[in-house]
Amino acid sequence: MTAAPPPNRPKINDNDTELIQAINSGQTEKFPELVRRYEQKLYNFGRRMCGDAVDAEDLVQDTFLNVFRYLKDFRHETKFKNWLYRVAASTCIKKRRRSKFAPERELSLEEFVPGEESGAAAQVPDWAQIPLEKLLNEELVQTLHQAILSLPEPYRLVVVLRDMEGFSTEETAQIMNISGANVKVRLHRARLFLREKLKGYFAHDV
Amino acid sequence: MTCDNPEHRHCIELFEKLSEYIDQELEPETRRHIEAHVAECLACFACLQTLKQTIALCRQAGNLPVPAAFSRKLHAMLQSTPKPPLP
Repeated sequence: MTAAPPPNRPKINDNDTELIQAINSGQTEKFPELVRRYEQKLYNFGRRMCGDAVDAEDLVQDTFLNVFRYLKDFRHETKFKNWLYRVAASTCIKKRRRSKFAPERELSLEEFVPGEESGAAAQVPDWAQIPLEKLLNEELVQTLHQAILSLPEPYRLVVVLRDMEGFSTEETAQIMNISGANVKVRLHRARLFLREKLKGYFAHDV
Repeated sequence: MTCDNPEHRHCIELFEKLSEYIDQELEPETRRHIEAHVAECLACFACLQTLKQTIALCRQAGNLPVPAAFSRKLHAMLQSTPKPPLP
């Protein structure tokens, strides 16, 4: 008895499909166009995940090298961008098994549940009410980036993909090869971690 | 949760769901439950607002340009890489 073949997944057509088909049909001279489309996004992803510029450049280079080698295996069953980030995330995890910024540990919800507090805790702080354009400055962006880098990697990856790169829960789950429920749990803890860091920053700032 | 009031037994339970609430990933009934609660509980409302602002800051943190020298190096390196076999 032979096993039934897996059902064909529907093919996804996006803005990159035509270009990828051309490259895969032998027009590899078009590969630089694919790089141009995504190098800035991947570079910023690398900066957010790795911190410094050299590590981010290594990540971009290794990711595009892997894409160049394995693009022929891309089956258009997901958006190319999602596949690209899956390659990048995998490259990132392999390169940085141990973060020099953050220990690999689980974040528990309990550590973000404030204890018995009253008064000031039960007020909306000023920083949460100021319009973003007035709040954002270089120092705050740096503080946020440092806070992101101090997140354990699995949490950092989720919050970067969801809140900075703009992927949905489902897409993030696909990129990280984890369940949507797991994405939601990690994302919430990562956000609470960042919120604590921002609270600390603004407590000193004002 | 920051609620001091022991009557607010749902604070911890709702605390777990605030991100899903912000992301509009909750069932309508749970959404309404949270909305009713934060309308009454200032501590939970403050938590929600600070979390929303944290997310908004992440989304607006901006992008850096790719260093031109790196981009040139990347394109040159890829051009010199042997072509993979056709599928």
